Amino acid sequence: MTLRTSRRAALLGGLAAPFVSRLAAAQTGPIRLGTLTPQTGAGGPYGPAMVKVAQALVGEINAAGGVAGRRIELVSEDDETNPDAGVRAARKLIDVEKVSAIIGTWASAVTTAVAPLCWENKVMLFTVSGADSITKLPHQGYIIRTQPNTYLQSATAAKYLASTGAKTVFALSAQTPFAVDSYNRLSDVLAQGGAKAVGDVIYDASKTSFRSEIDQALKTKPDALFLNSYTPDLAVILRELFRAGYEGRKFTFGYAANAKLLDTVGAEVAEGLISFSPSPDLDSPAFAKVRAILGAEPDPYSCQVHDHISLAALAIGKAGAGTGTAIHDNLRAIGDAAGTKITSAVEGLKLLAAGKAVNFEGASGPCKFTPAGDIEGCRFRFDVAEKGKYRLLSLI
Amino acid sequence: MTGDLPQLLINGLLAGTQLAVPAIGFTTIFAVLRFPSFAIASHATIGAYAGYIANVWLGLPAGVALLAAFIVAGLFGVATDEIALRRLRTSGPLTVAIASVALTIVLENLVRFGFGNDQRGYALAVLRDWRVDLGALGMVRIGPQQVQNAGAAAVAMGLLFLFLGFTRTGKMMRAVADNPMLASLKGIDADRVAQLANFIGMGLAGFGGMLVAMDTAVDPLTGFRVMLSIFAAAVVGGLGSIPGAVLGAFVVGVGEEFSIILLDPTYRTAVGFLAILIVLSFRPRGLLGERAI
Repeated sequence: MTLRTSRRAALLGGLAAPFVSRLAAAQTGPIRLGTLTPQTGAGGPYGPAMVKVAQALVGEINAAGGVAGRRIELVSEDDETNPDAGVRAARKLIDVEKVSAIIGTWASAVTTAVAPLCWENKVMLFTVSGADSITKLPHQGYIIRTQPNTYLQSATAAKYLASTGAKTVFALSAQTPFAVDSYNRLSDVLAQGGAKAVGDVIYDASKTSFRSEIDQALKTKPDALFLNSYTPDLAVILRELFRAGYEGRKFTFGYAANAKLLDTVGAEVAEGLISFSPSPDLDSPAFAKVRAILGAEPDPYSCQVHDHISLAALAIGKAGAGTGTAIHDNLRAIGDAAGTKITSAVEGLKLLAAGKAVNFEGASGPCKFTPAGDIEGCRFRFDVAEKGKYRLLSLI
Repeated sequence: MTGDLPQLLINGLLAGTQLAVPAIGFTTIFAVLRFPSFAIASHATIGAYAGYIANVWLGLPAGVALLAAFIVAGLFGVATDEIALRRLRTSGPLTVAIASVALTIVLENLVRFGFGNDQRGYALAVLRDWRVDLGALGMVRIGPQQVQNAGAAAVAMGLLFLFLGFTRTGKMMRAVADNPMLASLKGIDADRVAQLANFIGMGLAGFGGMLVAMDTAVDPLTGFRVMLSIFAAAVVGGLGSIPGAVLGAFVVGVGEEFSIILLDPTYRTAVGFLAILIVLSFRPRGLLGERAI
């Protein structure tokens, strides 16, 4: 009996040893940051590049001496674009790996599921998800989002439409949770620009014909149509607008107006369609670095992960401590307008060590955040469909 | 809003003709095999892809591609019934209906596996609408393509009526639909008739699927998107009745368009199902009753 007990005690001790040493190491050992990105599922095309950028950047920071005298250790998990898997992986990152920040959640459903774990454990969550509801969660400042939300995107669309000289705009929107908010914001900002939103039809995107909806829109003779659609319904709408002989401006989101759309509807039907999407800062040295890391044209999410890692490292450098709370408390201080403008974490960490103020602007643009954790502004690109191809119109 | 009535009526009638073809397919299978085959959704998708291969890859004209859609979807219908559904028929219509839902999801994903999730379009020019002045009733616009589609649908329906009314095989099908017991006593091979019903039913689904895809796009969900409206049309007209399916398709098509006068377009789909509830409350067997094949 005694033998068994002692054997069990030895076993338990043996099992516990790594945790004890890890706990002790948490004060002086490496600072752990976690990536939680989609390696599989709908977000699967983006996750691997996001992790690659994070690894390269952490390597660069460590090679330059780490942060606050400590190395950064990156732990990467797959959220499978699935809230269940995301929560399991976040639990591992928080409970076992003791990370100070989780970086790169992509799907809004995953971010929403993982967020409470983060704020309850005082772990900072950096996300690229777009749903407006995310930053309305009671997150106590533990969520930072670099992806512009619907509110900012609608305002940008409205400003652009007003700037093209359109006086009346009609919105055709697929039935989504953000259709109404989006139209209200569009209408407010149009009014400020001297234009007017003349109506809104929210349609059932699963239908195969929108002729009557389009008749309703065209009756108002709008200068521009704001097509708040997804690719399948946009294809139908564009064809029907063409048939109806509509000659005004057609404006939509970049995620709906993809290359496949042009193949589906053909050059003639898509001609003149203007699409807009949040864009990385194409002229920034940080963007060039992400491009060099990936060896390809970066997607917006990889650029945002570059900024997440940089923001976390700089906040830790500013605080001199590696906890989630330290990142939370110092995140906004590294976007100090009076500080030296920097685009790389290594450069910023040196300045911070010398006691100087820094103003970080990343690959995705200026990283300034509202109190709720939303990005204040970002770059947008506008493309026009011409002869079956998209051409960059402008970058603002 | 009432000034829009002529235009809404035209839009509804054109939508109805498009809906009628797969609805006839659905009701034909019901008439002979006595179960609602929801696998019609994936067969409409298969038809749309078969038409795509014929039209875009092989460069055949749309008319020939429609024929290809009919034949390929029909053959798939016979094969999948043989493999997946036939043995379940002894377990009752509910079991087969549930299995057909499972089958349609499997087939939809096989299409996705083979072709990916991307949208595709046919190699067809998009034509401008005709504008017709109706005088006091105002201007209406009519799409040449929709009229062509309606014509193709009418031809398919006409051929089916001729087949059922005047050929020996067609009469055999009607006999089985009318009274399977009596038909088997007369020596009609029920299995052959079942295969034929599947071929024609799923073939029409494929034909209708391609008509829908010509207006929208070819993707793995092409058939699924119209499934509920097809079901509504067949039930409103009277399950098992071919003229009923046509009438039901027009009721649902025109009803959905007219609903825009009173309701937000968001609720269009609900109108088809409201029509089911209302019609079934007063005529439990649908507008034309069942077994009028």
